[in-house]
Amino acid sequence: MTLSIVNLLFGTTAAVYFSASVLFVADLLGRAGPAGKWAPRLVAVGVPLHAAHIVLWSIVLHVCPVEGIHFALSVAALLTCFAYVLARTRYRVDVVGAFVAPQALAFLLASRFVGPVDDEPRLRSALLPFHVISNLIGIALFTLAFAAAVAYLLQERRLKHKQFAGFGRLPPVDALDRAEHRFLVAGFPLLTIGILTGTIWSREIEAGGAAAIARAALSYASWVLIGGVLLLRAAAGWRGRRAAFGTILGFGLTLLVLVIYLIRSLGGVTVSGGPA
Amino acid sequence: MIVVVGLSHRTAPVDVREKLAAGADALPAVLARLAARSELAEVLFLSTCNRVEVFAIAPPASGDEGVDAALRAIREELARHGGARSGDDLAAYLYDKRGDSAVEHVFRVAASLDSMVLGEPQILGQVKEAYEAAVAAGALKGTLGRCVTRAFAVAKRVRTETAIGSGTVSISSVAVDLAGRIFGGLSDHAVLLLGAGEMAEAAARSLGQGARALRICNRSFDRAAALARDLNAAAVPWDGLDSELVQADVVVTSTASKTCVVTREMVRRAMKLRKGRTLFFIDIAVPRNVEAAVHGIDNVYVFNVDDLEQEVARGMQARQAERGAADAIVAEELARFLAWTRGLEVQPTVVAMRAKARAVFLSELERSLAGRLKHLAEGDRSALKQMVESAVGKLLHAPTTRLKERAADGEDARELAAAMRFLFDLQELGGASAQLEPVAAEAEDERLPN
Repeated sequence: MTLSIVNLLFGTTAAVYFSASVLFVADLLGRAGPAGKWAPRLVAVGVPLHAAHIVLWSIVLHVCPVEGIHFALSVAALLTCFAYVLARTRYRVDVVGAFVAPQALAFLLASRFVGPVDDEPRLRSALLPFHVISNLIGIALFTLAFAAAVAYLLQERRLKHKQFAGFGRLPPVDALDRAEHRFLVAGFPLLTIGILTGTIWSREIEAGGAAAIARAALSYASWVLIGGVLLLRAAAGWRGRRAAFGTILGFGLTLLVLVIYLIRSLGGVTVSGGPA
Repeated sequence: MIVVVGLSHRTAPVDVREKLAAGADALPAVLARLAARSELAEVLFLSTCNRVEVFAIAPPASGDEGVDAALRAIREELARHGGARSGDDLAAYLYDKRGDSAVEHVFRVAASLDSMVLGEPQILGQVKEAYEAAVAAGALKGTLGRCVTRAFAVAKRVRTETAIGSGTVSISSVAVDLAGRIFGGLSDHAVLLLGAGEMAEAAARSLGQGARALRICNRSFDRAAALARDLNAAAVPWDGLDSELVQADVVVTSTASKTCVVTREMVRRAMKLRKGRTLFFIDIAVPRNVEAAVHGIDNVYVFNVDDLEQEVARGMQARQAERGAADAIVAEELARFLAWTRGLEVQPTVVAMRAKARAVFLSELERSLAGRLKHLAEGDRSALKQMVESAVGKLLHAPTTRLKERAADGEDARELAAAMRFLFDLQELGGASAQLEPVAAEAEDERLPN
């Protein structure tokens, strides 16, 4: 009975995210008409459904939702959608949903196809929840920053090329730039906590191997890059395009860390430790 | 019959239009003079910067001669108002319309299909103001009032069902639109006006409205100060241009300088001090005031007059593409309104027929009640009266409905009405003026939903 409810919630959430994604894309192409305004609302509808799915599924599997890569993906998508719902009206960045909704759908679906968590006692640590939670929220915020940066570059390109058509689909460049900066500012301390806890934890469990080293290197690189973007903006006025490219690169590195996790998990060796 | 006499940007130059224009102060006197003319039953005076028109009703009983007299009366009053010796002095500029084409004209004007800038929204507000002034002066009684209120509904339909009002069709509105694309709102941003020309003033009036601050920088400080007083802005000296570029977010340039007054180097310096904050130039000067290379600097956007005019042309094209759909709505609404007015034409016959039937039946009843039925109690008498009233209503329901239907369909309603008057020997109550009674008009409103 509970499992069928979990499946129903999974299906409904996926359908809602899918509909939102289609509407976002249609709106960007100027073909959604008045229905376009429902795209962000659908993401808002998806959040409680998604949360209910995660809670029930974790009860069914007797697994804490912050442990294991399959839950981590789903929770990261949920947090991204939740942060988007909170931020979209405040920062006037509805269009960011055009990336958030498909990403949420992809992560939700992927969470079903990744192997079960390897609840190895060796990996347990008091730092694990801090590490995972800060990383997940950080990923959620960097996802929003990334989407805002991409939208910024698109809108900026149109302005520079003086292409008036389609301007209305994207928010003002200034709003996108500010939103991107705020998401980065909010995500950076979490990334820092994630890296610190990951570093300490990996020493505790004596993690090693090429993948762990690569993950650690990429995590440190993303920290330096995003920290650099924030520092240069404050000190030298690096805004707009340069900040957007830095954000995209920083997000790319954090995403790469996540991909290494996934590859390891799909290979049957799930070690969710490491700097980030 | 509804008539209209007037002139517009299509028929008269501005020096003629401005002579006939009537502001809010002069409007009551003009309306009073027009309403006092016996040739006119209802009057509305519309005065905008692009048109002056008088809409009126020619008394229905007066026929074609009455319509001609009404048109003459309006021309005479317009001539008097404009200081011309006679209506003939304005003849070259004035046009007139009557009947169906006058109603269509009212609808088209309100829907901004006859405006200089197709789809501009101000005209509807101006027609509403004219309507309110006419109502306040007691110059609108029935049909014309209904026609104008219907025109409001037509305009609303045209705006909501077509994209006639979409796009930007003036330099100022394109500038405001672009500022919105870059900054969202301007409430946290400062606007700098470089130069004090008319074009910059127009753009500054639009942009400065919602801006945090508006500053004017001109080679002649006195001219800047004068314009600043007018725009509720601050004048700044020309020497301070470099520091102004650091403070401002939107810069509108329109100086008469033959060389660029804003160079790439100046903007690069300013951007360093601005810490990369976005800077938007609207260069409406010819020759250009801002070096083209400035657009290549990160977070700096320069749009010149050609860029803005291209967008204006695109906006106009998009609106023109909607004209067909708007015309179709006007045609549909015109047909509905005309059906309603034709229904009004047979109204006097219907009223007379009902009155006569009621009078005949009640008179017979009264005779009986005074004779053979005089023994009836008061309750029985009133029951009999009610029965007679009800019988009259039921008897005349079918002919009334059919006559109105024929009228609405534009069929032989006039002949039918004439036949009824002949057969029943009807004298129309109050003559044809009954059709102008607001009460009668409202009784027909179910035919003309708002």
